[in-house]
Amino acid sequence: MLMADDKLHKGHAGISEHDQPGKLKRLLRFTAASWRLNLAGAMEFRFSFLLTVGSMIVNNIVWIIFWGMYFKRFPVLNGWTLQDVMMMWAAASGGFGIMSVFFGNATRLANLIATGQLDVYLAQPKPVLLNVLISRMSVSAIGDLLFAIFIFVGFGDVSPVGIVKFTAALLISGMIFIFFCVIAGCLSFWLGNTDGLSFQLFNALLVFATYPTAIFKGFGRLVLFTVIPAGFISSMPVSFIRELDLPFLYGALGMTALLCAGGILLFYRGLRRYTSGNMMGLRR
Amino acid sequence: MISLSKPAKYVFIGKITLRSQLAYVVDFLIRSVFLLLILYIFMQLWQTTFAGEGTATINGYTFKQMMWYLVFTESMVLATPSLSTRIEEEVKSGDVAFKLIRPVSFIAFHYAEYMSEVAIRYVINLILGSAIGLLLVGPLPVGIGLAWLPVMALGGFTVNFMLGMLVALSAFWVEETRGLEFVYNKILFTIGGMLMPLELFPESLQRIGHWLPFQTVVYFPARTAVGMHLGEISHALAIQWLWVILIGAMVWLLYRKGVRKLNVNGG
Repeated sequence: MLMADDKLHKGHAGISEHDQPGKLKRLLRFTAASWRLNLAGAMEFRFSFLLTVGSMIVNNIVWIIFWGMYFKRFPVLNGWTLQDVMMMWAAASGGFGIMSVFFGNATRLANLIATGQLDVYLAQPKPVLLNVLISRMSVSAIGDLLFAIFIFVGFGDVSPVGIVKFTAALLISGMIFIFFCVIAGCLSFWLGNTDGLSFQLFNALLVFATYPTAIFKGFGRLVLFTVIPAGFISSMPVSFIRELDLPFLYGALGMTALLCAGGILLFYRGLRRYTSGNMMGLRR
Repeated sequence: MISLSKPAKYVFIGKITLRSQLAYVVDFLIRSVFLLLILYIFMQLWQTTFAGEGTATINGYTFKQMMWYLVFTESMVLATPSLSTRIEEEVKSGDVAFKLIRPVSFIAFHYAEYMSEVAIRYVINLILGSAIGLLLVGPLPVGIGLAWLPVMALGGFTVNFMLGMLVALSAFWVEETRGLEFVYNKILFTIGGMLMPLELFPESLQRIGHWLPFQTVVYFPARTAVGMHLGEISHALAIQWLWVILIGAMVWLLYRKGVRKLNVNGG
């Protein structure tokens, strides 16, 4: 594949980094190139691509129908309206979409570790965690991401402030999803194959993120703001998008930073314990 | 249709499937964590809803009945295997050629396999779901309806098989059928009454729901178990089996048409 910066490289055949783009810039280019190739791969089977994306949108629409019927019968649910629930779905499916489209290996980390499939990434001169995460794209999740945008346009506040708030909510939600899954996946470094357990943890986060936080009380609510931080995603419509609740925002940002740092730290700590198998792997 | 004459062989097919399924009970139990999760969430949701309404019943359902209704619907839906995946694979790999030359009916073979698989999964789900139900909301007042649950569930699973087969048989024409099955399952979730009893639907949607076969799959059995009047049960059974005959005939026609069109490569 011809890269945009190939011309630039031609003049510098040596190993000198003089006049080369900076480290960050190179990483960004690498990430963008990975995403582009992933998407090109997914688009190879056009019909299958459309069918997968479409069925994921249908899946989400079913929940919209359910909540639509629910709110027709019971107009308010502990202070939550239909619009809040819609925005909650947008935040959750958007965050999940960001993770699965751009960092698609996050949910497969446990399996990659347990089966020794990290070898191929270790041999490449790129940050291991980033390289692992971005090298897969879930096609169906494109439907989730599109769905989030449709819902926002249909039910959200499409003003400049509204758009900024929604984008911020999506980014926080996405980060929580990614690094929660990284941490859940990293358990494999210590506990052997935790494929099932890691999946159940991720599933719990996803399921809890799609129900109004207002229905949970006591211990259940505590869990949602600590061990399974789905509460920071599902509360977005009420505590951040509708009206700004500063303590909630600080909590959400703090949790995101904690998960992010914890995930990276755990991964590189675990990597020291990583033992590969004899599986042969190859990447272009 | 060939060789429907000896029911004994279908009983054996069922027995073999049952045995192979028993080997995966532990694996199935682990996957049942999802059942626990979803029932816990719905308990919270309906608790809040009942508190908000301030009434003991909502459209004739008490909180306990609502929760047990969900135990029955979720247990059924989570017990159903994917027919589309199975038949699509058979067609793609060419295995279908071996199935077709056996002296057993293709549809009846799949029915025997499906029902025995469903039976074991459903029983496990019911045990687990009931344990969760007992723990979370207490026992369901035992009524005559509960005794009718196995009969209703048999009919429900049969309609589900027939509808699933209609979708799966389209694999004889098109390559991808799983997307279609996905949509069918979602119809079952909503208009089929898996997530919410039909009584809670808006009037117009309720009327549409009563004219469609989807209500017979999970709504009828679950509604029967949580307390349907005896008179309603016979009516529901009649509707259920009418749909079995109707959709069964459609499956038979589709199969006859499809099997002539099918081209098998490999196998």
